[in-house]
Amino acid sequence: MATSAAKPGTETSPDVDVEEKLKEAFARGWSIIVWNDPVNLMDYVVYVFKAVLKMNEQDASRHMWEVHQKGKSVVGRETREKSELIVHRLRSFGLNATMEQA
Amino acid sequence: MICEQFDPGQWRLSFNQPEADFLINVLARLGRHYQEDVSRMPPALRAYWQGAISRGGGGDKNDLKESQEVLAEARSELRGERLALVENWLRDYELSEERDPWKVEISTAERDEFVAMLNDRRMLIAAELGVTEQDMEADLSQIANEARRTGILEIDVLGHFILVMLGPQIYRP
Repeated sequence: MATSAAKPGTETSPDVDVEEKLKEAFARGWSIIVWNDPVNLMDYVVYVFKAVLKMNEQDASRHMWEVHQKGKSVVGRETREKSELIVHRLRSFGLNATMEQA
Repeated sequence: MICEQFDPGQWRLSFNQPEADFLINVLARLGRHYQEDVSRMPPALRAYWQGAISRGGGGDKNDLKESQEVLAEARSELRGERLALVENWLRDYELSEERDPWKVEISTAERDEFVAMLNDRRMLIAAELGVTEQDMEADLSQIANEARRTGILEIDVLGHFILVMLGPQIYRP
């Protein structure tokens, strides 16, 4: 069985590297964006925001109106993995959701 | 169509005969759609199932590629789950002894899945026909193309079904 030993002073610690990248990624986060479309009903969009994003009535309505009037709304900011999950959940209800690094 | 809560977290849906016929037709079409190979669908429908996870806003391209793959896999699984759901509904209808009205009892989670599935049909029709905001606001009788008119009518009727089901929990100031 082959073994390898790194020479002292020639290696950066992978742990530190990963930790820094994680911190950086977490700090920047990923924005979850919902885009306007001509078919989804306003009440339905409010309902989906409440069901998926656990928003209260007021916030859900505010974001729904933002989508309707401005064409899109940033409905959350999460880690990449959590954003993927939320985008999938929103799309499973037929909403046009995407994610972008903040 | 009537939707009533008969226990906490339990709902009873009642459809008269024309509503049931319409719904069964919709479910049958959805069932066929969920079985189709996405790669062979027209671009608009393929985009509905495999659309980009980002609209090009920053981020590491490898991260986005990975996220896109995660989403594609989840969307593919969802089609399988929805197909099973369609089959359950069609089986229930086949086995029902009374169809006017046809009554179905479901949990809140099942109702939410059903609502999302009906909305799939609305979105798929819209994608296929390229339905616009103006189409949705137009007087149906003014839409000359019959396929388009029928499609928009189906979108409207399914929207009515969805609102009836969500009615008890929709906030109205």
